[in-house]
Amino acid sequence: MIINHPLLGPRDAAEFVYLGDASLMERPDPQGPEAADNFHDYAYLRKNPAGEHRELWYHEQGDRSWLVVTRNTLTHEISKVELARDVAVTRRGGQ
Amino acid sequence: MAEYSLKSSSALSGYNHDFDGIKLRELTGLSILSIAVPLSGEAAAKTAIHTAFGIFMPEIGASTTSANLAMRLVRLGVDQLFLLGQSSDAKPAQLKGTVYTTDQSDVWIGLELSGPKARTALARICPIDLHPKVFAIDAAARTSMEHLGTIIIRTGNDAFVLLSASSSASSFLHAVELSIGNTS
Repeated sequence: MIINHPLLGPRDAAEFVYLGDASLMERPDPQGPEAADNFHDYAYLRKNPAGEHRELWYHEQGDRSWLVVTRNTLTHEISKVELARDVAVTRRGGQ
Repeated sequence: MAEYSLKSSSALSGYNHDFDGIKLRELTGLSILSIAVPLSGEAAAKTAIHTAFGIFMPEIGASTTSANLAMRLVRLGVDQLFLLGQSSDAKPAQLKGTVYTTDQSDVWIGLELSGPKARTALARICPIDLHPKVFAIDAAARTSMEHLGTIIIRTGNDAFVLLSASSSASSFLHAVELSIGNTS
């Protein structure tokens, strides 16, 4: 399997380590009113889609960047690869 | 009391061997300075590196050399650079605190693989596409070969420099030798 790194180009999947669901980046607010429930869901509940899945991969044998990879769990087709830092900055709305 | 005298030697004792169409040798006396660029500090780092060493900051996945070719600056990621030289000419203080630096000279070993069959031998163990049109001269990449972390730099038409951990230097050399054997 080849992952097309946004900065480094196509790289062998053996250079990467898989972490899991990209929703791990969306950590709930620990000061929020329903923090306990939200953290329960954050820690334990995952979707298990048969199809498109956004997941975190770490380029350990490369530039040590985290990527958000959109992969089809049925076909392994990768439709999108983004730098996790870009995804996080966009979500926060700027810097 | 016995008199001891210690003699320093490189990790691969200056290995130098000719194969059919390939020259493989250890790069001894290599000095490596790791440079990490702080967030939003790229412009300042660029200027400081150029002022100190006369080298332009390369694009990611490429390297640049100083005018006298004594130093090579390799860019492996957004904020990761390696400055390679043959001595300790590159003093971190010259960068005036614009970047974070670590001396990694003794942590890595360098192997130079050159000759018309070098690319063929590497194709067996290197997961990077080394086609001359894809991996141009001065291109650089951090990857792994036989599960050992490796930085590969194309230094000439048919010449490559491989950097790997000095703690597993012999295993790495063995892997490269084996690959040469398997492809010749």
